[in-house]
Amino acid sequence: MTSRRHALGLAFAASVAGLLPKLAFAADISGESKAFVENMGRECIAAITNQAIPEADRRAKFRELLLAGFDVPAIGRFVLGRYWRVATDAQKQEFLKLFEAMILKTYADRFRDYAGEQFNVIGSRSEGDDHAMVQSRIIRPAGEPINIEWRVLKPKGQLKIVDVIVEGVSMSSTQQEDYASGIQRGGGDLEPFLAELRQRYGS
Amino acid sequence: MPLSRSLKSLSRSLAMGSAILLGACATEPGSNDPVEGLNRGVFAVNRAVDTVVLRPVAWTYREAVPDPFKDRLRDFLNNLKTPVVLANDLMQGNMDRAGVTFERFWINSILGIGGLVDIASSIGIPRHSEDFGQTLATWGVGEGPYIVLPLLGPSNPRDTVGLVVDFALDPLTWILPASGNQEWGYARLGTDIVDARSRVIKVTDDLEKNSVDYYATMRSLYRQRRAAEISNGKAPMPTGMEGQPSYPGQKTDE
Repeated sequence: MTSRRHALGLAFAASVAGLLPKLAFAADISGESKAFVENMGRECIAAITNQAIPEADRRAKFRELLLAGFDVPAIGRFVLGRYWRVATDAQKQEFLKLFEAMILKTYADRFRDYAGEQFNVIGSRSEGDDHAMVQSRIIRPAGEPINIEWRVLKPKGQLKIVDVIVEGVSMSSTQQEDYASGIQRGGGDLEPFLAELRQRYGS
Repeated sequence: MPLSRSLKSLSRSLAMGSAILLGACATEPGSNDPVEGLNRGVFAVNRAVDTVVLRPVAWTYREAVPDPFKDRLRDFLNNLKTPVVLANDLMQGNMDRAGVTFERFWINSILGIGGLVDIASSIGIPRHSEDFGQTLATWGVGEGPYIVLPLLGPSNPRDTVGLVVDFALDPLTWILPASGNQEWGYARLGTDIVDARSRVIKVTDDLEKNSVDYYATMRSLYRQRRAAEISNGKAPMPTGMEGQPSYPGQKTDE
């Protein structure tokens, strides 16, 4: 493959410049992330569809997997956007708690909806030292396949998914715009917004 | 001069004050929605029509019509769009993609019995879609402000022009009325709309349920989708608003 030849040529040049260790590291994150997303997908689908264990246990297992695999606090901070800085500590805490509940509910529903369909991880590429994009596809029996990209970071030595991009649409960016608009329509105050989230996702 | 400076700051605070008063209508920076008030109005009407008419029909279509029939219909409708896709491939200078489109048309129309079966996809020649809005974008035309069209939904000035031009580029637009078969044109349009709506019911229900502001969600979705379509899947990194990170966990110099 010509891309492999290109990569070898680059590696040679880089080793001359003493950069080979850095390149090898970048290649690692790409392969690592690909395996990581493959595992996550398989385990999450298994957890949510496992008829052998009671519903409550299924949800608990799914929750455990999701919180381990997704960097929920980082995603929450991003989604709140510029309102994060003006939030009080109590508001930040409550928002993250509600946001976590929202993510669990939303993704549990989505995984369940797509559980019967084929999930294939088809590739990955590194975007930096601790940053990779993993490409996957959901093959549906009726209709065209859905292309999903996963943004994977490695903040503290552990791989974490920070965004899911469906057919070019970033879930985090979309939600950021949604929440920003929602907060603004409440006058820029976080309280009505938190009340809305409390109503939807509060226990 | 102190007088002009204080006048300037006065007018600035007046502007800010009125912006705060118009709070509900003030747009989020970076959302590219200067006529948000009007757009929300049209969006609400569209949503009402969808709830009352389109979604129920599309839902029934999805539930009542067998999959093979729906697939044949979708393949047939896609095949009819080939001339427009081909024209846009060519106008964008994409000879490879034009070749693929051309190939697909002959394979599907002949082997696929008049386009009823998408044989080309099953032998590894996938479909792609192109439209004049995308062509304009590749020619350097910017999106312009976000607008919501009555019934047609999210758009922008460039893509609206695209819709009109594609309508004119479609041979059937001219052939059907000329041969006295206008009703087929309406039938085609209606079926296309219902079938397309039926395929995204699950997605729109999900988005509506999980949105705090469904209007803002759809706006964001439309703009991102168009950016992805224009770049043919190599979507550029989303741009954050003024010094904000573009994705969660991005290191910024805060």
